[in-house]
Amino acid sequence: MSNAVKLRADQLEIVRSGKKVLGGISFDVASGEVYALLGGNGAGKSTTLLGFLGLLPLSGGSIFVNDIEVGSDLKKVREAIAYLPESVSLYEHLDAYENLRYFLQLAGTPYDRSKVEAALDRVSLDLESRGRKLTGYSKGMRQKVAISLAILRDTEILLLDEPTSGLDPAAIDEFHDLVRDLASSGKTVLMVTHDVYGACQVADRIGLMQDGKLVGEFTAADGERIQTETVHRAFSDRHPKNPQVA
Amino acid sequence: MKTALTIAAEEWRYWIRSKLALAVIALFAVMLVSVSWVTVLRMQAASAELDHHQAEAEETFVAQPDRNPHRMVHYGHYVFRSPVPLASFDPGLDSVTGQAMFLEGHRQNSATFSASAASGDPGGLSWLTPALTYQVFAPLLLILLGHSAVVREREARVLPSLLAQGVSGRSLMAGKILALLVFILLLLVPLGVIALLAVTTGESLMAAAALVGVYFLYLSVWGGITVLLSSAFSKRSSVIAALAAFWLMVTLVLPSIAVNVASVTAPLAGKIEMELAMLTEQKDLSDGHSVSNSQVEQLSAELFQQYGVNRLEDLEINIRGLLAQKAEEKLTLAMNAYADKRMASELRQTELLTAQGWLTPMIAVAAASRAISGTDMQHYHRFLRQAEELRYDFVQDINQVHAEQLSYVDDINRNRDEESYNRSRVDAANWQLLDEFRFDTASASSRLASAGTPIGMLLFWLAVLFALLTWTGGRLKP
Repeated sequence: MSNAVKLRADQLEIVRSGKKVLGGISFDVASGEVYALLGGNGAGKSTTLLGFLGLLPLSGGSIFVNDIEVGSDLKKVREAIAYLPESVSLYEHLDAYENLRYFLQLAGTPYDRSKVEAALDRVSLDLESRGRKLTGYSKGMRQKVAISLAILRDTEILLLDEPTSGLDPAAIDEFHDLVRDLASSGKTVLMVTHDVYGACQVADRIGLMQDGKLVGEFTAADGERIQTETVHRAFSDRHPKNPQVA
Repeated sequence: MKTALTIAAEEWRYWIRSKLALAVIALFAVMLVSVSWVTVLRMQAASAELDHHQAEAEETFVAQPDRNPHRMVHYGHYVFRSPVPLASFDPGLDSVTGQAMFLEGHRQNSATFSASAASGDPGGLSWLTPALTYQVFAPLLLILLGHSAVVREREARVLPSLLAQGVSGRSLMAGKILALLVFILLLLVPLGVIALLAVTTGESLMAAAALVGVYFLYLSVWGGITVLLSSAFSKRSSVIAALAAFWLMVTLVLPSIAVNVASVTAPLAGKIEMELAMLTEQKDLSDGHSVSNSQVEQLSAELFQQYGVNRLEDLEINIRGLLAQKAEEKLTLAMNAYADKRMASELRQTELLTAQGWLTPMIAVAAASRAISGTDMQHYHRFLRQAEELRYDFVQDINQVHAEQLSYVDDINRNRDEESYNRSRVDAANWQLLDEFRFDTASASSRLASAGTPIGMLLFWLAVLFALLTWTGGRLKP
């Protein structure tokens, strides 16, 4: 793993609709590292990702992508990032190829049909679905198209918001393998999830968030420890009897 | 620019694949083409009929037999104003100002409607012209098609993905507007065809192109408003409600208020009221029939000195013709003063109405459209002036014939017996003095100059929208 820091939040504060959603969190993610932000609903995980994308104004602290302060050069920041939102939003009236072509065009990435097929193979989207409009796609299939877009953009950094939500267990395993592959090829991955087991399986480091604060940080080696009290605390507000944490 | 083009192309693909959008476009296309076609046919028929009436009136006048010249002054003549070529698109005020006028001595009659125009629209359906369709319904189509441009991306949560691809809010807005601008160009095809048809019937290419340009500006304003409001709300229903309210205000409510404001602020004197005032002033003026002794004495003295005689019967010229000329001159000056006053009031009212184009682009485009088409208030006044010029010329020419070709003795004795009456007639060849009347519109450059202020208003609207769209695009959030 390289030591070059690709993502850095320093005392990051964000206020949304008058409410402090992030209350001064600090962490960094290095090149080739998979960092998972783990926490319950409303912990501020997705807001952190939007902050890295420059889609929300900061009310305090600072945030850097490739040592560029987000906001000083949004274009460069966004060029370096592929973002997979929580609810995968693609165009219903387009098929998988058309969606990929459009988003790649917008990102300034040339459309190469053979690379597109390879990316769709990699996410295991079946051949016959690829030419169909997304109207009939399951959530998992949409997720696959969105992930293939992230692969095709070939950016240094991937921001993944609940990437395995809606996927079946086999697809989740495949996805985790894919993320590990990407990280081993030097990509930096910051993902947010509620899935403690999945986070332990795929992330090099896990940051625990609660009420807009980073309340703990673990490495994969701390797997046992993660599933104890601290995690319980992170989810306790909303899921006091979460079976995954028990 | 490349990003904006990509977004515009995608917007078009969405429209094409959306059956609703295609249905709306098809419906509007049918409406626009049918209204345009019907109006063109109606104007062509009216033009042919009025030209025919004009030629017939001229033939009838010059075909009159030998007559007493003053009887010809009262026999009078009709003038007809054929629709100008671009009236096929925008009849403007033509439908309310009349196209026919009876010209006679001592009077300036009002314009009236030809029989065909008066009876051609028993159902009152002719109000729906291509111009009105463009002014009122084309914006509605832009709203139907473009209201979801930005809010759709937001509702489907695609906006974060788009912004995360490095697409700026401004590029997104530019792309959506570009898509609408291409659609606007398509919308303008029927207008382009009408404008080209007008060019083939004598209209200036510059005026025809300017008319298309003015509507492009107007519809661009609507495109900008549609995208702006689409980006301002998070729900499609809110965008539709806001745009529908704006459309109602701008195309129906504000123009109606504007007309009332203009008529209250600059009221016009009623025609009867105006004519009574004029008659009061004219009571001291002669119309040539009842000449005062002092006028006769003064002119007689001048003529006696000029011709070296001392009796009216010995003059080489008929003093009654000269008196009629002088009386007509004075009377016309008085009538023109009233006509000028009335026209100034009407123009003031029109200017007040047009000034409200700063508040609603529909008033601005309507004013520019009429000015360029040659169907505005100024052109109506131009028709009145040209008709009056013809009236005055032929009345004074007949008075000249009266003075030169009918002796004073035969004139005053014309009612003594039939033979005397016949002696008071002059040769019918004199009626050839009548000039042909063809309404002559102002030059294209002059019409464009008249449309300058409303065009400036449309550009002002576009500038404001550009600033707002740029500002909103820079702050666009998912």
